[in-house]
Amino acid sequence: MCIYYQLTIRNMKTIKRREFLETLGAASAYTVLSSNIVHAAPSDKINLGVMGLGGRGVYMMERFVKRPDVEVVYLCDVDQRRFSVAREAVSEYQDKEPKLTQDFRVMLDDPNVDAIYIATPDHWHALGTIMACQAGKDVYVEKPLCVTPWEGKKMVEAAKKYNRVIQVGSQSRSSQYVDDAAEYVRSGKLGDIHIARVYHLMNLNNNHTAKEEPVPDGLDYEMWCGPAPKLPYRPGTWWRDMWDFNTGSIGGDIYHQLDIARYILDKSDPKSVYSSGGVQYFKDGREIPDTLLAEYEYDKLTLHVEAALWTPNYIKTPFSIRDSDQYPNWEFNSTKVELLGTEGFLRIGRHGGGWQVFDAQGEMVISEYGRQTNEEHIGNFIDCIKTRKKTNSNVEDARQSALLVQMANISSRVGNQKLLYDAKTNNFTNSKEANKYVRRKDRKPWIIPETV
Amino acid sequence: MIIYMNIFRSIFLVMIVLLWFTVNAFSQWLDITDVKIKKEMTEMAGPEIVIEYDLESQDISEKSPAYVFIRFSQDGGTHWNLLPLQYLRGNGFDMVSSAGHKKIYWWGVAELGFDIDSMEIKIRGLQMVRIPGGEFIMKSFPGGGKDPSVEAKPNTMLPEYFISKNETTITMYADYLNEMGRRGFGWNRRMKDSLKCGIVREGLDPDYSYSVKPQKGNHPVNYVSWYDAVSFLGWCGLTLPTEVMWEKAFVGGIYLDGDDSKKEKNPFPERKFPWGNEAPDGDDLYRCNFDGEGDGFVKTAPVGSFEKYNSPYGVSDLAGNVAEWTLDWYTTSFHAGIDGFRMVRGGSRIDLPVGVDAVSGATQFPIKESNIIGFRGVKK
Repeated sequence: MCIYYQLTIRNMKTIKRREFLETLGAASAYTVLSSNIVHAAPSDKINLGVMGLGGRGVYMMERFVKRPDVEVVYLCDVDQRRFSVAREAVSEYQDKEPKLTQDFRVMLDDPNVDAIYIATPDHWHALGTIMACQAGKDVYVEKPLCVTPWEGKKMVEAAKKYNRVIQVGSQSRSSQYVDDAAEYVRSGKLGDIHIARVYHLMNLNNNHTAKEEPVPDGLDYEMWCGPAPKLPYRPGTWWRDMWDFNTGSIGGDIYHQLDIARYILDKSDPKSVYSSGGVQYFKDGREIPDTLLAEYEYDKLTLHVEAALWTPNYIKTPFSIRDSDQYPNWEFNSTKVELLGTEGFLRIGRHGGGWQVFDAQGEMVISEYGRQTNEEHIGNFIDCIKTRKKTNSNVEDARQSALLVQMANISSRVGNQKLLYDAKTNNFTNSKEANKYVRRKDRKPWIIPETV
Repeated sequence: MIIYMNIFRSIFLVMIVLLWFTVNAFSQWLDITDVKIKKEMTEMAGPEIVIEYDLESQDISEKSPAYVFIRFSQDGGTHWNLLPLQYLRGNGFDMVSSAGHKKIYWWGVAELGFDIDSMEIKIRGLQMVRIPGGEFIMKSFPGGGKDPSVEAKPNTMLPEYFISKNETTITMYADYLNEMGRRGFGWNRRMKDSLKCGIVREGLDPDYSYSVKPQKGNHPVNYVSWYDAVSFLGWCGLTLPTEVMWEKAFVGGIYLDGDDSKKEKNPFPERKFPWGNEAPDGDDLYRCNFDGEGDGFVKTAPVGSFEKYNSPYGVSDLAGNVAEWTLDWYTTSFHAGIDGFRMVRGGSRIDLPVGVDAVSGATQFPIKESNIIGFRGVKK
């Protein structure tokens, strides 16, 4: 059978890397890797590899490839079926065909690759980013940053150790209206803020619970599972609400609102978390709650989360409003953030929903429309690759926002206990059981090393 | 391909006004010749119109009939409408299962207020394939398994329907544009590069005209959104296939002659590809237009180029060439404000072999105008 497509298969170096991953911790392996780091000198054109060609991956890749200073040089997905849509999108903006690969390590081995965009399921975010850092690549990784608190710490360490630029896909961090709201709050005009409310009220349907099937031709299921358990193959998106793969339909999305709130409030890690709720509505085998209320304690501030996946009255800000001079229907907006200050009340919407402030008398005193900023967020990443400056959504900030999601999830997993968090040790001080979930037991050979 | 236009001037007048053969003689409109039209008075129901023509195509049969539709204009060709089949009798409209001389009776013309004397008509036909009623084995999930509102696989016991033998061609779409697109309707910004899309637009609003680039007429049209596809098919009197219909046309029913007779058992009812289970390039034979140049085509292939490897019913190019829009769509509340997603099936000229099989599909925004997506029609 002849070779009819340019599917790049990793050469013998694969074995070296796999040995390294299996035995990780070995300092000698690091020496090898470090010596392989090739910094492509920041140039006018950034050579980008794209890892994960699902809906979000292709959507964002089109925004990358539209830029005159970006060339997509690799398309990577574990499923061969996903290449064609991405190739077509690239072909509209650049003449040179990208190489195709099912193994992202091919991109990492290529010294011509400057940066990697990661849009895989959550369970690959941490290891993918760390390995890219080790290979000397800058990384744009989709939110949420990672699945466990321990992964977040390791990602921060890797970015620092290898001097990598990391942008995380919370694009509101590149929105002028969010900056303006943050500046307003920090000026003290809202007074002291003791309560913040973050909402995520959706109306979703069951996850598919398809039967087990043989792995389809063309899908590298071993690679898809990666560090997560290799369960029997089932089509569909059942994994979205399973602990080993994801932070859940709530956690993966409310990350955006939590990140906006944390940014405006200028808060880092909380002292404690307390969750209530659970899987109360759906009967599709999911593990991660469909109903979640959580409270985080900071000094003189309580951050309250109200999230559910079965609320018919609430909708996300419609697309027709997102990029226009309109505000969402705040009352039933799914993704709003509210700050209660001693001098007034602020509400802000995700997706370019804008923000408004009401004074103590209930009069609106400030109001600004918003816009979505995927392109601006990508632009910030590209600029930072060239300047080596910190991105708008850098890995440490993203770790802190992801931690909020993870803490609420862990509280749920231990029976909705109140958990006290110690930021220095990245552990809970009052529950050994909770600490079991700070780090996931990864599957060989896809193990994140203690020392990255 | 032949398009026939006639202007009625007086009772009992037979006029053949125009026979128009395109440069692309096999651009997938069927050959309709020797058209004659006359108006006759009837005893009780006012005048009737009698249309006669010859259907030249030799490979028309019960299994692969012609779909013949008529469009008419009453204002000198500025606006055109599809003639509803309910008004017609005879053997030469809708599904026509044999070649030869055809006769159509159009009743109630005066009752409906048509100005017969100023009327023009065009008759077009395209080749369909009959998909007999019966059960088949569906292995994919509609919506790619991503529509959370779809709890179970759909009913796979389908009644008889007909599907276009070939993907809709550039010539067919240009013909549609010339009739409907004088003000730009059906044309989108991504068609501007005629080298890529194969259609040249000239003139200004409201008098755009469209021509086909040489050698391109018989290629599948692309750069068409889901809305463009639906509009074209509505113009013909057809619809897009559902995913269930598309997949049955690809793999065949459990009985290829249908569940009414059950004489011809499908040898591969769970086949991977239209021709069976051999890989698209197995034994160094290329069976469809997929990724690479080995199949002889870097871009799209003229429709029907791999006729030897048609589906068990004789449908061409279901695997590869251009992926095809279907009627199915899905949405989630993650995508509030989006008009859902639509499914495309069959893979394209740049898909790897696994992407042109019976079960693979991709979700696309309905406004997507892609160089790897086209479509074909169905008629129930």
